[in-house]
Amino acid sequence: MKQSSFNSRSIMIFSLIAVVVISSVFFVFPESIKAQSDEKVFVTHSGAVVRTTGEVIDPLYVEATMEFDPMEYLRDFDYGTTSPLPDGTTLREYTIVAEDDKIMEVSPGVFYNAWTFNGSVPGPTIRATEGDTVRINFINNGSKEHTMHFHGIHPAEMDGVFEVVGGGGGRFTYEFIAGPAGVHPYHCHVMPLEEHIVHGLYGVFIVDPKEGREPADEMVMVLNGLDTDFDTENNFYAANTIPFYYQHHPIQIKTNELIRIYVVNMVEFDPINNLHLHGNLYKYYPTGTDLVPSFYTDMITLSQTERGIMEFEYQYPGKYLFHAHKVEFSEKGWVGIFLVSDDGSNSEQETSPATGDATEYGT
Amino acid sequence: MELDKKPSGAKTIISGLIPFAFIVILMVYIFGPGSDLLDLGVPLPEITIEMVDFVDSEIHATVRNTGPIPVEVVMADINDRIQPAAVEPDRFLERYETALVRIPFVWNEAEPYIIGITIEDGTRFEKEIEAAAPRLQPSLELIGFFAIIGTYVGIIPVMIGLMWLPFIRRLSKNKYHFFMALTVGLLLFLGIDSIEEALEASAENLADSFNGILLVATVTILSFLGLHYSGEKLIQRVKDSPYAKPVAIALMISIGIGLHNFGEGLAIGAAIGLGQVALSTFLIVGFALHNTTEGLAIASPLAKEKKSVIGKLVAMGMIAGAPAIFGAWLGGFMYSPFSAVIFLSIGAGAIFQVIVIIMKWLRDENENSLSSASIVSGIAVGMLVMYLTSIFV
Repeated sequence: MKQSSFNSRSIMIFSLIAVVVISSVFFVFPESIKAQSDEKVFVTHSGAVVRTTGEVIDPLYVEATMEFDPMEYLRDFDYGTTSPLPDGTTLREYTIVAEDDKIMEVSPGVFYNAWTFNGSVPGPTIRATEGDTVRINFINNGSKEHTMHFHGIHPAEMDGVFEVVGGGGGRFTYEFIAGPAGVHPYHCHVMPLEEHIVHGLYGVFIVDPKEGREPADEMVMVLNGLDTDFDTENNFYAANTIPFYYQHHPIQIKTNELIRIYVVNMVEFDPINNLHLHGNLYKYYPTGTDLVPSFYTDMITLSQTERGIMEFEYQYPGKYLFHAHKVEFSEKGWVGIFLVSDDGSNSEQETSPATGDATEYGT
Repeated sequence: MELDKKPSGAKTIISGLIPFAFIVILMVYIFGPGSDLLDLGVPLPEITIEMVDFVDSEIHATVRNTGPIPVEVVMADINDRIQPAAVEPDRFLERYETALVRIPFVWNEAEPYIIGITIEDGTRFEKEIEAAAPRLQPSLELIGFFAIIGTYVGIIPVMIGLMWLPFIRRLSKNKYHFFMALTVGLLLFLGIDSIEEALEASAENLADSFNGILLVATVTILSFLGLHYSGEKLIQRVKDSPYAKPVAIALMISIGIGLHNFGEGLAIGAAIGLGQVALSTFLIVGFALHNTTEGLAIASPLAKEKKSVIGKLVAMGMIAGAPAIFGAWLGGFMYSPFSAVIFLSIGAGAIFQVIVIIMKWLRDENENSLSSASIVSGIAVGMLVMYLTSIFV
């Protein structure tokens, strides 16, 4: 009797101890010992050398390739399919497809449900000349209702606000005369509007003046933000969606060449955005509606959908930063580099990307 | 007999195992391949930044996956500004797995920082540090420093409290019971205090998935049961000698208080180590005043001990006070929120067990009653004294 009670007691105590030991091991040492991997090294901006046996997560300086290529988008203009109209003017036809189920890598390792026009954020840059007839065959392949609302002058029924286009293949044809000359945004105008815009349903609409503009290396920069955790605060900012992209993929230009940038601010939540250019000043044409610049400056402030054209040339070769001087935005991705090569030397020579050597950063 | 017994033993085991077998079958059915029976709702990923260390030109964040699904650490930021970082051992975290995120950053001492970690779905988790302070590296000087703090907070006040022994010895039976009840009041306060601190530590640093409140409750009760069992054994063993029982009770009290002071030392060490507290002389004085009452709690049961108890008293003072030093070392040099919660809960359980012992003893002494004026007023005064001295801490 004594013996058996001792046994059962010791079994109970033993099992109690076993449970405690196992659970404490589970809680206190959850990470299993991993095989030593190779040591990696990365150098910070201030020159500190960090050695790690783990992984480097660095969206700032480490070159990353995303599905969306901001370098391709930068100089990509969609002039549409042209055909002459009986009155001698030009008809430009575009097909724009809206989707809202795309999961896109927006920064290394960060995936976001982007809503897209023609599969990208921003949507294609639609370009026409003042007086052209623009016809947009809009197809909504999304699960929600979407529209296309253009800034500019057009009839009320072409405004893309009350003519909601249903998802799952709904169609609408927008047709209007392009005007006025300048740079304008287009975006979805379905409620809740903020949600439809911040998910990525926007793009740039450029109307060239009839007399044309001086030849230049032309680029489009949509200043945007990404609220990846839906707390109505942007987690990332960028020029053309991908944070830090033009920092590790500098935009290559030449000295004494006219650069023309069509800038559109699509940042939501934050009341203002701005663009500061290093080592230079630009002529600024607000909304691009006038052929005479309003400012000669290196810093302009942009509110929501405020936009304009910037023109400048670099005199000296080298690396020049451009970024939001709201430094929070630049430290969250809205920063880039112009790599200016000398037009006197062989301009086709290979230039090394900025990540090869220490990236200079200053304001 | 022999033949009968053996099959029945086997039967017992089998009948005990059958429900387990069904549990296994149930699990296989629910989680097994091709089963999407319970695929309802969206599991949300969650990580917890458990610890932030400020080292030479780097900020180290210890991150644990406390959500229901595996996550990937993809980005770090300081004060909501994106920073390059390294993740060790790698960025993939299974449930409850931890990783160290090293963020090179030239930080400024005493400034507040918010450390943010973003995971693959873009969700950002953050932890705010009120004032950056360098992580303490064990050095002889610091070990000595913590030992001195532990001595001030633990040993000295307890020893001073023990000096009330001659006073208590001269008291009448009723007044003596008053002081024993006072001890109960003191301990009751300490036990509640421990639980409060444990809950606070778990709320601040432990993820919800650890079920902080239930963790504290479980550990407290386990500690209570463990000490209750061994305490009864100890008292039974000394039953034969009539005067040894008070010594056993005093020993139990000092062990309980020692466990509590270990937790207290842990909290102080961690507070200094994490830079949350500028340890002032005022705080030390507060703890010292507060802990003097603990010495009284140990001294009370020894009052009826006829022999010289100085040796025992010193030993018990050390048992009750010295753990504060070890706690401060552990808390200062290798703080882990999990161990803090565990030790504080163990301390709480130990104290409640001591309360039960004293109450039992008091009831025996008072003809099975606990409602005499001396006992009720003693407990009340004990609580009040502790509350008033706690205001200084």
